[in-house]
Amino acid sequence: MNTYVCRYCRQPSDPSATTCPMCGAPVDIRDSVSDSGWVEQPPIRDMTRIQFGQSHCQIAGTTVPVAEFTLAAPDFIYFSHHVLLWTDPQAQLSNMSLRGGWKRMMAGMPLIMVEGRGPGHIALSDNHAGEVIALPLQRGQRMWVREHRFLCATGNIRYDWEATNIWYDTGEDSQHQDIHYPMGQYGDIFTAQDQHGLVLLHSPGNTFIRDLRQGESLLIQPSALLYRDVSVHAHLHLEYPRNMGFAFWHARWSYHKIWVRLTGPGRVAVQSVYQPPEDSEAIRNTSYTTVYRW
Amino acid sequence: MTCGAPLDVRDKVSDSGWREAPRLRDMTEFRFSASTCQVEGELVPVAEINLNPQDGVYFEHHVLLWKDESVPLSSLKTAGGMKRTLGGMPHIVTVANGPGRVAFSRDSPGELVVLPLHPGMELDVREHAFLLASHSIQYSFVRIKGLSNLLHGGSGMFMDRFITAQYPGLLMLHGNGNVLERTLRPGEKIMVEPGGFLYKDSTVGMQAVQMPLRTGLLGQHRMFLAEMTGPGRVGIQSMYVHHHASE
Repeated sequence: MNTYVCRYCRQPSDPSATTCPMCGAPVDIRDSVSDSGWVEQPPIRDMTRIQFGQSHCQIAGTTVPVAEFTLAAPDFIYFSHHVLLWTDPQAQLSNMSLRGGWKRMMAGMPLIMVEGRGPGHIALSDNHAGEVIALPLQRGQRMWVREHRFLCATGNIRYDWEATNIWYDTGEDSQHQDIHYPMGQYGDIFTAQDQHGLVLLHSPGNTFIRDLRQGESLLIQPSALLYRDVSVHAHLHLEYPRNMGFAFWHARWSYHKIWVRLTGPGRVAVQSVYQPPEDSEAIRNTSYTTVYRW
Repeated sequence: MTCGAPLDVRDKVSDSGWREAPRLRDMTEFRFSASTCQVEGELVPVAEINLNPQDGVYFEHHVLLWKDESVPLSSLKTAGGMKRTLGGMPHIVTVANGPGRVAFSRDSPGELVVLPLHPGMELDVREHAFLLASHSIQYSFVRIKGLSNLLHGGSGMFMDRFITAQYPGLLMLHGNGNVLERTLRPGEKIMVEPGGFLYKDSTVGMQAVQMPLRTGLLGQHRMFLAEMTGPGRVGIQSMYVHHHASE
């Protein structure tokens, strides 16, 4: 019985291989772990193959990697149209509609997915320097992924979405109210249905993984969160520094730091490229928030 | 003439036949004509040229990173100035002549593609992708034909065309992200995201083709891909501005 579990994808794997056949991570290297417990996800090596169903995916390139799928006839993948790099003329492309089209469009999420069916080749790439992250999911397993990080998934993965419920609003009054979603308005939820499947993400910059124990919490930049187990809870956390600077003279402005607090148990992954919230107007209302004033 | 590619590494070819452009090692130096080129850096690489007195290179002026004070600059006479301006291409192409050193880079993470051109070759390059070319290469441009190609092709109105007559020359491109190349057999087709197209032999046909897909809520967005038809080489880049959805 195989008891080796890949450190990165947490799936039973082959210890004699040089790369994990499930997620493509190199397994013949030493783990790179920071003192605080963050495990650096090693980039998938150039030309590594990842098997799924009767098909496989090959990762080409290291700066902006390309995921090249060799699809057998019964297998299919789906993806947002803007990540398609090239395709064989014989591969079949069609639309895959998603529920909640209007809300998705208003939230800036991909409205329509493209379904790519074999036999044939289809290659996908995102538009940022970074890494492709492969998340194999066992039957019934679910994973939360931050919006716009999804590259593609195999056909047996169900794609849902839910509101992040992490927001705050600023503005002088209700007529000039601005609602902010520092982690995005919606998050993607991927579920392996009747058999295991594969989700590919594109992570700008480098990727780090950490396991949170039951009740252990962590503050991160909201836009740095890449994925998390659905058992990990997230909510807004505000910190107000002791020295308010020049902000004290006008109630409209405030100095604060906006975080997302993640609470275990479960696995979380962050990307090293993110956009910190720059807003410095006073926060009026928020979703469930914890506050700390120094 | 050499291209600086490392010879002690295996060719990286994907299952479908795309070959990765060889990543030039930091400080790799190679020769062209009587001059040398050294590639510095790996994330946003710089091409540093040490020009011999009888050599020159031409380039778009905004890719010039630094030069020796003594290196003279002039402009290359290009036909169709107004058309070029309207097409968003550089109106003036700048020439640097030796002796002296001059260095070039484009401001995006990616790779330098070194393409030594033998006599009698014709290569079409996506506009604003060429970094420099040696003076022995003839530079012209071709208008992308067909309204559909212009509106939906995603490659602009023109492509740069580089031709070698009786002398070989050196052409360097900057590809965003990773660069992959594939050689198509006669009649073989491949569908490429128009923004990902980087270069092709002039023998390769390129045609914008509408895909049977909708990419908007009410079907008002259409998706176009560039159908490339062999024979010849096609080069693509993995980071691009996508163009294939239009209203």
